[in-house]
Amino acid sequence: MNENLFTSFSTPTILNQPATIPIILFPTLLILTSKHPTNNRLATIQQNLTQLTLKQMMTTHNAKGQTWSLMLMSLITFIAMTNLLGLLPHSFTPTTQLSMNLAMAIPLWAGTVVLGLRSKTKNSLAHLLPQGTPTPLIPMLVVIETISLLIQPMALAVRLTANITAGHLLMHLTGNAMLALSTTNFSMTLLTSMLLALLTILEIAVALIQAYVFTLLISLYLYNNT
Amino acid sequence: MPQLDTSTWFTTIMTMLPTLYLIMQLKLLNTNHYQPPLTKNSNLQSHNTHWQPKWTKTCLPLSQPQQ
Repeated sequence: MNENLFTSFSTPTILNQPATIPIILFPTLLILTSKHPTNNRLATIQQNLTQLTLKQMMTTHNAKGQTWSLMLMSLITFIAMTNLLGLLPHSFTPTTQLSMNLAMAIPLWAGTVVLGLRSKTKNSLAHLLPQGTPTPLIPMLVVIETISLLIQPMALAVRLTANITAGHLLMHLTGNAMLALSTTNFSMTLLTSMLLALLTILEIAVALIQAYVFTLLISLYLYNNT
Repeated sequence: MPQLDTSTWFTTIMTMLPTLYLIMQLKLLNTNHYQPPLTKNSNLQSHNTHWQPKWTKTCLPLSQPQQ
C-alpha cells in the first residue's frame, strides 16, 4: 500500500518521455496578456488580482527592495497557480517535488543575503545578534543565529513540499477509505464524503496560503537586508 | 519516497528556471496597467479676440477663469 500511495508523486512520464516539462510550463498559458485598455472579464480579474497583491506586498519596502517586485509577483503567481492546478483529480503538482522547491528557495534566499552583505555589511551582520544580550552569551548566540540563518532556505523548501504533499496524501487516503466503506457501511461513506469536501476546501486554502507564505518570507528576508 | 529520486531532479529544475524567471516575468511585464482617464479641467474659455487685451477684461467678463 505504501508504493500505491506515493506513486502519484513520482514525476510523470508519457511513453518514457518526461511529462514534467509541459506540466511545469502549463500555468504560464493561463495568464493573459493584452495591450488593450479594456479587456474581457478574465483578463481584468487577473490584472486586478496582480495589482492587489503587488500593492499589498511591496508597500513596506524601500526603493531598493521594490526592484524585486517583478520577481516576487511572478513567484507568488507561479506557486499559487501550480498549487491550485494540482487540486484537480489525477493531476501532478510540481511543487511536491523537493527538487523544484530547493531550486526556488536557495537562489532567492542567497540573493537577499548577498544583497545585504554587499550593500549594508555591518547592518546585515548585526542581525546575527539580538539586542540586549548579556556579554558572556554573545559567542554562543552568534552561532545559534548563524545556524538559524543558514537553515532558512531548507525550511522554505521543505515547508512547501511537506504541506502540499501531506494535503494530497490525506485526500488520497480519504478517497480510498470512502471507496472501501461504500460497500459495507453506507452512512460512514456520507460522513467520509463530508470529510473529503472539507479537506478539499482546506486544500484550496493551503494552496494559496503556502504561496503567500513563501513569498512573504522571502520579502521579509529582503526587508531585513535592504 | 519518489521525491528523493534524483534522476529527475535535473529535468525539473531546468524546466522550472526558465518558466519562473523568464516566461512568467515576461508575461507580467506585458500586461499594461492603464490608469483611469483623468478629466480635463474645462473651466477656462479660450478666446481668440484680435483687439488689445487691456480692455478685453471689462468687455469680455466670461473670458476670465471662473471663480
